Amino acid sequence: MLTLTLKEQPSVPLEAEALSPDLTAGLPPEAVRALPVHLGKRQLRVADFFEVDGAPGDELVIRGAADKVKWIGRGMTRGRISIQGNAGMHLGAYMKGGSIEVSGSVSDWLGAEMSGGSIRVRGNAGGQVGAAYRGSLSGMKDGTILIDGTAGLEVGMRMRRGLIAVGGSVRDFAGLEMKGGTIVLRGGAELRTGAWMSRGTIVSVPQIPLLPTFTYTSTYNPTFLRLWGRYLSTHGFVLPYEEREGAYRRYLGDSSVPGKGEIFVFQPHAS
Amino acid sequence: MGGKVTCTLGEVKNRADLIIYWGGNPAECHPRHFTKYTLMPKGKFVPEGRKGRTMVLVDIRETPSAKAADIFLQIRPGKDFEVLTILRALVKSRPIDETAVAETGLSLETLKDLAARMKRARFGVLFFGMGLSMTRGKHMNSAAVLTLAAELNAYTKFVCMPMRGHGNVTGSDMVLRWTTGFPFGTNLSRGYPRFNPGEFSTVDLIVRGDNDAALILGADPGATMPQPGIDHLGRIPTIVLDPKVTHTSRLSRVHITTAATGISAPGTAYRMDEIPLPLRPALKSPYPTDEEIIKRIRAAVAAKPAWTPAAIPARATA
Amino acid sequence: MLRIAGGRVYDPANGIDGVVQDLCIDGGRVVGDVQGGRAIDASGMVIFPGGVDIHTHVAGAALNFARGLTPENYRKAVPFLHGPERRAGLGGITPTTFATGYLYAAMGWTTVNEAAVPILSARHTHEELRDTPVVDKASLVLMANNEIVLDLLEADELEQAREVVAWLIWAAKCYGVKAVNPGGVAAWKWGKNASNLHEPIEGYSRVTPAKIIAGLAQIVDDLRLPHPLHIHCNNLGIPGNISTTLETMRVLDGHRAHLAHLQFHAYGGDGWGTMRSEASTLADYFNAHTSFSCDAGAILFGDAMTITADGPWQHLLHQLTGRKWGNVDVENETGCGIVPYVYKGHNLVNAVQWAAGLELLLLIKDPWRIFLTTDHPNGAGFWRYPELIRLLMDVEHRRDCLKKLPKRALRRTVLADLDRKYTLSDIAVVTSAGPARALGLTAKGHLGVGADADLAIYAQGPDGISFGRPRYVIKEGQVVVEDGEVRPASEGREFLVRPSYDEKIEEYLRPLFQKVYTMSFDNYPVEMERLTRPDVRACE
Repeated sequence: MLTLTLKEQPSVPLEAEALSPDLTAGLPPEAVRALPVHLGKRQLRVADFFEVDGAPGDELVIRGAADKVKWIGRGMTRGRISIQGNAGMHLGAYMKGGSIEVSGSVSDWLGAEMSGGSIRVRGNAGGQVGAAYRGSLSGMKDGTILIDGTAGLEVGMRMRRGLIAVGGSVRDFAGLEMKGGTIVLRGGAELRTGAWMSRGTIVSVPQIPLLPTFTYTSTYNPTFLRLWGRYLSTHGFVLPYEEREGAYRRYLGDSSVPGKGEIFVFQPHAS
Repeated sequence: MGGKVTCTLGEVKNRADLIIYWGGNPAECHPRHFTKYTLMPKGKFVPEGRKGRTMVLVDIRETPSAKAADIFLQIRPGKDFEVLTILRALVKSRPIDETAVAETGLSLETLKDLAARMKRARFGVLFFGMGLSMTRGKHMNSAAVLTLAAELNAYTKFVCMPMRGHGNVTGSDMVLRWTTGFPFGTNLSRGYPRFNPGEFSTVDLIVRGDNDAALILGADPGATMPQPGIDHLGRIPTIVLDPKVTHTSRLSRVHITTAATGISAPGTAYRMDEIPLPLRPALKSPYPTDEEIIKRIRAAVAAKPAWTPAAIPARATA
Repeated sequence: MLRIAGGRVYDPANGIDGVVQDLCIDGGRVVGDVQGGRAIDASGMVIFPGGVDIHTHVAGAALNFARGLTPENYRKAVPFLHGPERRAGLGGITPTTFATGYLYAAMGWTTVNEAAVPILSARHTHEELRDTPVVDKASLVLMANNEIVLDLLEADELEQAREVVAWLIWAAKCYGVKAVNPGGVAAWKWGKNASNLHEPIEGYSRVTPAKIIAGLAQIVDDLRLPHPLHIHCNNLGIPGNISTTLETMRVLDGHRAHLAHLQFHAYGGDGWGTMRSEASTLADYFNAHTSFSCDAGAILFGDAMTITADGPWQHLLHQLTGRKWGNVDVENETGCGIVPYVYKGHNLVNAVQWAAGLELLLLIKDPWRIFLTTDHPNGAGFWRYPELIRLLMDVEHRRDCLKKLPKRALRRTVLADLDRKYTLSDIAVVTSAGPARALGLTAKGHLGVGADADLAIYAQGPDGISFGRPRYVIKEGQVVVEDGEVRPASEGREFLVRPSYDEKIEEYLRPLFQKVYTMSFDNYPVEMERLTRPDVRACE
């Protein structure tokens, strides 16, 4: 396991795609210190910003307020990154396997276009979680992203498969143009959830405003929610799914596409 | 993601019988639009001129442009995305939740009528302005217009066009696209062009303080950006090239007065429909052109030790 | 001064078929002898005249539209890093302008013909061509849906139409005339098309696509342009369009004409389910009628970007594939449509298309009349021409590729029965000598004394010639590519023509223009200063 401790705040964003187990596995600290990072237009070394200690392995621990460090874990296929602090944009983008855990908060494009692996953020995330980069046909194709705090705009935009679960509230356009997969909104959302979705499932515990192109179909307790609920509770996410707690109102949309996506909104029983 | 269906302004003049302005105030912001392109001129296939055209204005308040409108639709602020999404469904005769329409400020009947008019038009055009693209939803509002216009082509001829702002923003879009591939927000710091709105687009980048120098040409962000951005520009070395001393000039380190392009400097402007027009300066100026200044700056930078970007590793960022 | 010593030269225009001889260059041209200067040892290497791409889409409004529509393609494109004398750029299926020049040069192509220029945005095209380094350029102005011309044809005023066309060519500062889906793009302004050559088009009672085709072919011949009418026939891409193509050729009988991307016009069947290749039928007719030239427009499996002025076809493609769709109608002149596309080997239609392009290249007997193109970027990226070269020269490889196609496709093409093999001389003809001759660029496509010193030098290994990766590329006598590195060079030239017309035509055009256009007539013609190193060629 290698530990990198941020010793110098970059003056402008630092692009550090070298900080990925695929590139650091098996390397001793001296070799990792020499890996390239990009500060604006200048290529520098990891050692210019991080103290590197530990032994070769496929686990990376990154400590510090790395809010301005971008692209950590880019495209990783294995191993583990544990961030004790914050991280910048594109954390875990294009990830295919392995796991990332963040004790603090992250910026936009968390897990963008990932196709496997798992990410857990204890703090907040920015926008475009698990989303497609501009123009891409699809966002995340598989994998799991769990965020305890809040998230920003366009969570799960154009995702195809996989699970995103957010504990706090999210901003507009969660599930925008969704093609599949599941988004669980434990803390609700602002506007336009599920806009233009064609397939996929969004579950919200609080009431959320819905576009007029979503039509109510029925109220019930879907079986899949029981399975998701059990899985998520092992990770500390509590989803009400027992009949005695309430049921879910199901909405079908977005008819403007036309889409066959589903939004389930929890309706607690009147006590 | 439907794409973009558009035309040059002469097509509008010659054929359009339904003109919709959404989120714009052409009477004040594009003062020749009605007379040159959309309402007044006699078109090749609209020889009766104004009488052969219906103009619909969609805005949150009644501006002077409403006087020229046949139909004025007052939409509630921030509801454009909802209305456009409803229209997409109505055009395709798909179901909507009728109880949710009222909050847009427009009735279901009004929207059904608008959808019918669009499908019935011989040639419809939707011009959209910053009232749409800068309100809640931003680029998704623009995407909604583009997608609706593309989908209407299953029924009739329909196009849309953005009402571009001043300062030849279209020209910079065009040149950036052919030289870098992207219309704006292009990052060259790794030696090749990269694009990601929100990350590299100007206001976002400056507000976050992601840059440590700024060269500003033909724009005045110091007048319009959020305060954190203005503060940041004031702290870093900022250079302004402008014919006038602007708000941004006042917080810059260096202001260079340059000749006004189009008035005393030649060049090319691209119209909102991306047609290039030569600029023939009418006056002389004692000041150098922007081009001269940029060339001199480049020559001074070239005299410094060379910096070449690092070779791309096997898995570069995008 | 440059001497290229000991290379094996292929110069089919001058009857040189793989002869080891020195080539001497001075002042940008091939000369008889040089004393001093640099010497390149080309022993063991093969020398071709620089490639000439007779039909490609690399600059202008349509291309730029496609660039903006597809930022996602750039994320997987080859990046071009900037350097002290190199501009940054991106490759991919719609390369940026600097990258375009570097990519062509790096593969040994030195002249490109931008196949579609709307007059209204010609200034834009020339700005992009100016930013396309190294290569020489020509461009073709779109004419077959120009409503001023169509209105004159409706009134049977062919003489006046000729004057207008001549004036327009010079206003656009272009080299030749392009016809795309004659009448169809004008009809598209109302959402319609023109699929029948002999039916009047929307809004007209006498103008049919046939009338436009015949009229323009006559005008181009009367104006004695160096390149014949360059035509993208009606009904591109539609199953059964072989009949339209043959009928177009009949309408053109007696005139020279260049048929663009012929593969897309060689289909039989009556629907997507029955679509098959009719390349044999087309080749038979083509072989027998010698006033025509064509370019293959072959497809290769992989990414493409369909960009044509054929608005109705592009809308159809959007509806069939659901991919995003770009469309611009240009007032009074033309339009363009864009749909990103991927050709897949397991797709029956794509497999037939792949075969049809190769069939045409193999069944059309005279390599001087069919040229190697992919209608870039419609069929495949131009940097993939070496893949086509291999398919033409290596029958075993071709058969291996055929085996991977769906069985049903094999029944719809005769490609499996064709064992013709292209020789190196054939390749030099279809990539350089032939297109240069068809374009009327007499100093290009050959290496005789007086020719432009544009050439590519390839190493010859055990696997054959490394097409696509020349050791050296020379342009106007300067070494622009050496061992994979593109060097700075002088800007390429732009070829254009000034056909003769009576200045009085402006009295006719000016008021008409002010009525139907939306700019000042004085702003319409492109200023000569916009062109880099313009080279006005004669019309004779």
